[in-house]
Amino acid sequence: MKAWLPFEWIAAWRFLREGRMQSLLIIVGVGVGVAVIVFMSALLSGLQDNLIKRTLSSQPHITLLPVEEVARPQQASAANTALRLQKNAQRLRTIDQWQTLRDRLQGWPEIAAVSPVASGPAFAIRGEASKAITVLGIEPERYNRVIALTERLTAGQLRVGAGEAVIGIELAKDLGAEVGDKLRLSVADGRSETLTITGLFDLGNKGVNARNVYVGLRTAQSLLDLVGGVSSIDLALHDLDLAEQLARRIAGETGLTADSWIKTNAQFVTALTSQRVSSNVIRFFIALSVAFGIASVLVVSVIQRSKEIGILRAMGATQAQMLRIFLLQGGIVGFFGSLLGSLLAWSLLVLWQLLARNPDGTAMFVISVEPGLVLTAAGGASVVGILAALLPARRAAQLDPVVAIRG
Amino acid sequence: MQEHVLHLQGIRKCYGSGDLQTEILHGIDLRLQRGEFAALIGPSGSGKSTLLNLIGLLDRPSSGKLEIDGEDIARLDDAELTRLRGQRIGFVFQHHNLIPAFTAEENVAMPMLVARGRPDRDMFETAGRLLEQVGLGERKQYLANRLSGGQQQRVAIARALAMNPALVLADEPTGNLDTHSADEVFSLMREFNRHQATTFLIVTHDPRLAARCDRIIELIDGHIAADSQLT
Repeated sequence: MKAWLPFEWIAAWRFLREGRMQSLLIIVGVGVGVAVIVFMSALLSGLQDNLIKRTLSSQPHITLLPVEEVARPQQASAANTALRLQKNAQRLRTIDQWQTLRDRLQGWPEIAAVSPVASGPAFAIRGEASKAITVLGIEPERYNRVIALTERLTAGQLRVGAGEAVIGIELAKDLGAEVGDKLRLSVADGRSETLTITGLFDLGNKGVNARNVYVGLRTAQSLLDLVGGVSSIDLALHDLDLAEQLARRIAGETGLTADSWIKTNAQFVTALTSQRVSSNVIRFFIALSVAFGIASVLVVSVIQRSKEIGILRAMGATQAQMLRIFLLQGGIVGFFGSLLGSLLAWSLLVLWQLLARNPDGTAMFVISVEPGLVLTAAGGASVVGILAALLPARRAAQLDPVVAIRG
Repeated sequence: MQEHVLHLQGIRKCYGSGDLQTEILHGIDLRLQRGEFAALIGPSGSGKSTLLNLIGLLDRPSSGKLEIDGEDIARLDDAELTRLRGQRIGFVFQHHNLIPAFTAEENVAMPMLVARGRPDRDMFETAGRLLEQVGLGERKQYLANRLSGGQQQRVAIARALAMNPALVLADEPTGNLDTHSADEVFSLMREFNRHQATTFLIVTHDPRLAARCDRIIELIDGHIAADSQLT
């Protein structure tokens, strides 16, 4: 009793210390539960971050496109006319006033980077080989901030001046081309351009590696007959989760079509969400079983200590004091269990990262135990402990001292 | 200062309800003056424990008036009753009196800790002094369950006196002890009674001990059958 703690804390601590075996067992029980929760949370968030990162390595967070053209019949609704509306074939169009729009969006605090792109279909021809590709005309510095192309280069450099192109490793393989080789791009209406390959990239997606050919914005504009125009504007955001919200706002303000990554990857996002929901369900039931464990140990403890409770009550301890002593025991068990559990989870994660490796020996994905997660677990487990102690603590408080002392 | 530490008037206590209701105490009148050293005797089932629980404010009478140190308990709610019990009454039970998770010194300080909410130097000084007085000054850091039965009862007496109560209630305090230890414990209570004028009410089966008290109150079938002053 060297520490000048309140009476309830001293009594709660001494009771736990005296029932050493019981306390230890339940703390280990809580620890295992907390370890599973922390391990699962860290694993899941690491996995999801990794999946999202891979998915977005070749996709902008938001893409702005011109509104689709629609057919407007001159006779709006003549009752006796059999009218079949045929949807327009969408031709390549430019975004109006794209420079102004670009500069305006650049000023929004939520937007990290803005990159105008002129893109369209073309053929890549080299010798006998010919492949259907997508030409993307970019301003490399801006584009790099949306999709980190420089980091993904496997050869050469990101240089797309006049007569230069950067292609994917898959296309390079198909065409048997390397950095420094020539490549001819030709579009449907006959224009063509011969370019020198200055770099090869690997964006981690076979389709993208076979299809995307990056050229300078001007090269693409003249090749695609979009002189002075761009076909889309790619955006990168500071907060991924706001993409859909922001896309709607931009669409509302500019009248353009704004597609967020959440919408273009709807199935993927649904899968992530349901994964998160099922893990929440599991976590909830683990917390519940931890709570029942704490409660059952404390119920037994109240019965074992009924005589001591009676004596304390005879000495003037109030019902409220008895209640707090047992609530605190629940909280303390929860707190120490969560510390043990965090330690356990941390060791598991270290082990996991040592064992779960890609075939090439690099870590499969990076998992970090954030201090926030440990604090949440500690706080959560303490609260669960206190809640679990509610019933036994009430029993202790309402124990009739006469009955308790007679034992 | 109030002369009567304890004043009972027409105390009745019933248990159960309806047809099954049984009356254990049938109108008890009893006064204890400051400094009295009284024995409460009687066969088992006579209502001794019930009476002691009422006097100890662990239970309320069904009817009648009960005053402790001049305070009528009928006007007090449960929390006030608990506070009054902690401050004005000390208990010594038959056995397992102490809380084993605490040392002898901490057990003695416990009523003060319960009342004040936090430990302080003063309560340990008081506890140490009381333990010296019961001859256990050297054992104050011993955990309660490492003391012998007689030593435990001596610690319990020190604890009962910690709040300087008006009345100490002892329920068979020597019931579990050999005659030598019983003698020691009894003498100790007698000493505190003489030197500090603390009032004691001792329930006992032992006629030898009862004979060494100043007054013997005999309870039979819920009535006071005899109440005699010894000289």
